[in-house]
Amino acid sequence: MAQEAMPGTSLAGFRPTYIYKVVLLGSTSVGKTSLAYRYMKNDFKELLPTVGCSFFTQTLNLDVATVKLEIWDTAGQEKYQSVCHLYYRGAHAALLIYDITHKETLNRAKLWLRELEKEFLPDEIIIALVGNKMDLTTEREVTTEEGEQFARTKGLLFMETSAKSSHQVNDIFMAVARELLQREQEKALSQCEQSTVDLGESRTSTRCC
Amino acid sequence: SIQHVYGAQHPPFDPLLHGTLTKPGSKPPTTPVKLKKVSTFQEFESNTSDAWDLGDDDDELLAIAAENLNTEVVMETAHKVIQNHSKLQEQHKFQEEHPQEEKQVESAELTSIACGDNRLVKSVSEGHASYFIDNSNESSSMQRSQSLPQTSIPPLLSGMADYNTLVTPALTEREASRLDKFKQLLAGPHTDLVLFWKAKRNTLFISLLVFFPQGYLPANVDRRESTLQRKRQEYFAFVEQYYDSRNDEHHQDTYRQIHIDIPRMSPEVLRLQPKVTEIFERILFIWAIRHPASGYVQGINDLVTPFFVVFICEYIEEEEVENVDVSNLPEEVLQNIEADSYWCMSKLLDGIQDNYTFAQPGIQKKVKMLEELVSRIDEQVHRHLDQHEVKYLQFAFRWMNNLLMREVPLRCTIRLWDTYQSEPEGFSHFHLYVCAAFLVRWRKEILEEKDFQELLIFLQNLPTVHWGNEEISVLLAEAYRLKFAFADAPNHYKK
Repeated sequence: MAQEAMPGTSLAGFRPTYIYKVVLLGSTSVGKTSLAYRYMKNDFKELLPTVGCSFFTQTLNLDVATVKLEIWDTAGQEKYQSVCHLYYRGAHAALLIYDITHKETLNRAKLWLRELEKEFLPDEIIIALVGNKMDLTTEREVTTEEGEQFARTKGLLFMETSAKSSHQVNDIFMAVARELLQREQEKALSQCEQSTVDLGESRTSTRCC
Repeated sequence: SIQHVYGAQHPPFDPLLHGTLTKPGSKPPTTPVKLKKVSTFQEFESNTSDAWDLGDDDDELLAIAAENLNTEVVMETAHKVIQNHSKLQEQHKFQEEHPQEEKQVESAELTSIACGDNRLVKSVSEGHASYFIDNSNESSSMQRSQSLPQTSIPPLLSGMADYNTLVTPALTEREASRLDKFKQLLAGPHTDLVLFWKAKRNTLFISLLVFFPQGYLPANVDRRESTLQRKRQEYFAFVEQYYDSRNDEHHQDTYRQIHIDIPRMSPEVLRLQPKVTEIFERILFIWAIRHPASGYVQGINDLVTPFFVVFICEYIEEEEVENVDVSNLPEEVLQNIEADSYWCMSKLLDGIQDNYTFAQPGIQKKVKMLEELVSRIDEQVHRHLDQHEVKYLQFAFRWMNNLLMREVPLRCTIRLWDTYQSEPEGFSHFHLYVCAAFLVRWRKEILEEKDFQELLIFLQNLPTVHWGNEEISVLLAEAYRLKFAFADAPNHYKK
């Protein structure tokens, strides 16, 4: 799995810093930008439709490491999909976001999953399925069970969130970060068995978009 | 073709030259910039009249410098201009503090518009009015070019003095000719196409002349009104024909998307007015239905706003374009604005439709061209981005997709597009040079950022919130300079 360690850190003495690329994918107006905005600014407002992609960063100080998330928020309209492709390349994690009040958006999230499966090996990327707009439960078209069920069969992380009420927004990003770290450690362990860990791995090898 | 000549003999803003001129006692250089070909330069010059907006002082000085006048004269003039400028600034301050007196100035509206703000007159009479008045143009521009170095300073000064002090000196020949054109413009049957846009500090002319370069309206005055009416009827016939189909099975996705996007548009004040959102929905839906190759693509919704706001500003007294309110406008006026906005947007999109067709080839191509251009004009910036693995597509996609609308405030977009309108292939080609100038404008900040994340966040959130006409004028001048240097030099700029 692609990992990035900042020069000058080592597992022994310091807490290592990892940089991960996380992409937000999903239909138009399911709340991708709103989730990112809530997560970054802890606020909610009407946002312009995303064009191309928007970029955010968030640093998490976890027990064992510092994690820098590079969040790539993509445009949702189907017509942008060919361009989106250029943005999700090289991602370490993807949030597939749908709107619980529009069934159609879950189907679209499934299509996104198929796209990702074409692009990545299963252990190359962490994928979370996120049902947004929990604040609108009265208009719900997708049950929690349905989302959960699908996530389980595909081995995805799953959570229902509300960018508006802030419900579980931090949690989903945190879950992704922890999962990323865990895989990092597993990988480091298996590498240790073979040889020493190369922490000086340059960005060049992993960033391709 | 007819070419007008404005008082600059050289491309603007050579920092070296600019530097030497302000140092007392130094000699003015005789040839500030090497010119390759006269014909190319004339073309360049004819296209750059409003690129000088900001640099009036500079280029008038450069013109004199080139004539080899002695340093004293240059310096004296420079001082005059600087004095005058500070007077102008004081005057503005004064007017801001004493709004009533500003009204007196406004009472002489035509004069103050025509003579007062030199920038504005220049852009009107020379940039656009040539579309209106064909016959007078040639002779007057000839005169101007011949008498240029000697007469270029007085009109500038007299114009400013007139505005500032309300003294009325005799108009120079050049000034008078401008004023004449301007009067003709206003007296014509299409004053409704001419907009006055009152910004807080200066009266800015926004050319609605939009229509002319884009071929929407015929140049012939007699046919204009009828064409305008016909186009408006045509639009509403489309509405009648297609708009009911918005809930049909194969159109409902398009309509739904538009319906979702409109309440998310900017500026906020527009989306809060139901009448406005209805108009935008109709315009966008009709356009999408009639252009199935691309259909509706997010971002296109932004492109209606500048036209709509400019048209609205004709009817309302609002100092900030961002704050327009349509509630008091008669239905008929709104309908005309709707139809006109549709046709303007439609014409605009005709030139850049490949930006929005499948896989958006137009945008991908232009981003690639931007990259090449920047690598040639500022290798350091280009290398810096490359070193930190910032890809042009990551920030410039939006620049192309939304024609910089998301990067600068609305008032600046309007100013920018005003120039695009008067430029051949303004939106499709000249825009590229503007983008290059825009990127390099931030070179200092870019080179200071030493990290991919910081760089990309900076590039996606450029600090332009306080930008106004001055910044756009500088940007345009720089873009013209780049175009001049690269457009005809295929070896320097491979496509």
